[in-house]
Amino acid sequence: MATETTFDHICEILRDQDGVSGDLTPETTFEEIGLDSLSIVEAVMACENDYDIEIDPDANPKTVGEFVKIVDDLVAKKD
Amino acid sequence: MGFRVLGTGGCLPRRRVTNDELSQFLDTSDEWIRQRTGIAARHVCTTETLDDLATKAASEALRMAGVSPEDLDLVVCSTTSSDHLMPAEASAVSERLGARCPSFDVSAACAGFIFALDAADGWFARGRARYALVIGAERYSRILDWNDRATCVLFGDGAGAVVLGQADEGPLSLRLSTRPEVAALDVPGVTGNSPFYEGPQGPSVLSMKGREVFKFGVTSVVREIRALAKEAGMQPTDITHLVLHQANGRILDSATNALGLDPARVERTIQETGNISSACIPFALDRMVRQGRVHPGDTLAMVGFGAGLSVGSCLLRWDQLSAHVDDPQKPAAAPAD
Repeated sequence: MATETTFDHICEILRDQDGVSGDLTPETTFEEIGLDSLSIVEAVMACENDYDIEIDPDANPKTVGEFVKIVDDLVAKKD
Repeated sequence: MGFRVLGTGGCLPRRRVTNDELSQFLDTSDEWIRQRTGIAARHVCTTETLDDLATKAASEALRMAGVSPEDLDLVVCSTTSSDHLMPAEASAVSERLGARCPSFDVSAACAGFIFALDAADGWFARGRARYALVIGAERYSRILDWNDRATCVLFGDGAGAVVLGQADEGPLSLRLSTRPEVAALDVPGVTGNSPFYEGPQGPSVLSMKGREVFKFGVTSVVREIRALAKEAGMQPTDITHLVLHQANGRILDSATNALGLDPARVERTIQETGNISSACIPFALDRMVRQGRVHPGDTLAMVGFGAGLSVGSCLLRWDQLSAHVDDPQKPAAAPAD
């Protein structure tokens, strides 16, 4: 359930980026929805702010699911 | 004792290089560069030296201020791409201008202009200066790897300068910080030809961890604007002008959004200059002043950030430029002679 919530929230953050719309699944790659590296950094920063976590600057998720896992792991460590 | 700005100046080299020109020898495109950086062109030295650019910017600032070079008590130049490892770039400018005062450089990369301003602020606070010249001057074209499309498209050459005079009050807030980390943004020093050195020798060209620096830039701007406003008992939305380091248009966008500010208050020169490091802030300030867009009573927040990783920020309340100035709107930022 927690994963689902994080997934939904991350999808919301990604849809805030210019040009991102339509269905997102954990397998969706950032490349196929046209997100460049700086857009991913912007999404990372939005997550850090919303979840009060700090994501490793070298973390480079390629899919929505990888991104969700990074966030979930950090949130779990915090709790 | 504090300071106020009496005059500003700026200078770019003549040669304007468009994104299309870069795409002739790099695997890049105008669309790619504009979308990711907001840069359309940058100016690059061909025959000009940094001494030329810095001296021109300084001369314009002195002329606007109505201050003679011999009246200067301090010349401080921020640069990390000087024509000289020694003497200081400031010494070269003082020689050309005919100034006869202590002249030294500050090395704090893209945050350097604010660090230099802080040094000058100290001279005013201790009563050691009536007039000070503070310059940001950079010639990054000499320290770029022109084969690296991820970095060489971002930077340009240029200079900006301010002449400061004594005032009853200082800046509303002035903050410096460094989160030490070399690898995020590094230009190794010259290697020379010592017959004894056996360590690794890399070229003196810029390397950057782009995503990390992007994040550092956005978070620094947001934090500093909030802190400057708080120290002055204001809200970020009360600040009239934001003169931020022009590293990437999207850093400006992200920070502006996060702060909920009107984008029209955020000065942008990046589309025409690219990142000119510590020259960004004084160059942008000069353009605003010469276009008559800064008025007495306005508040100006300046934030520089970059290699170090260092951040400098300053909140000023703008005063009358100078009693000597009838019309500050002289030609803006002309090429070096």
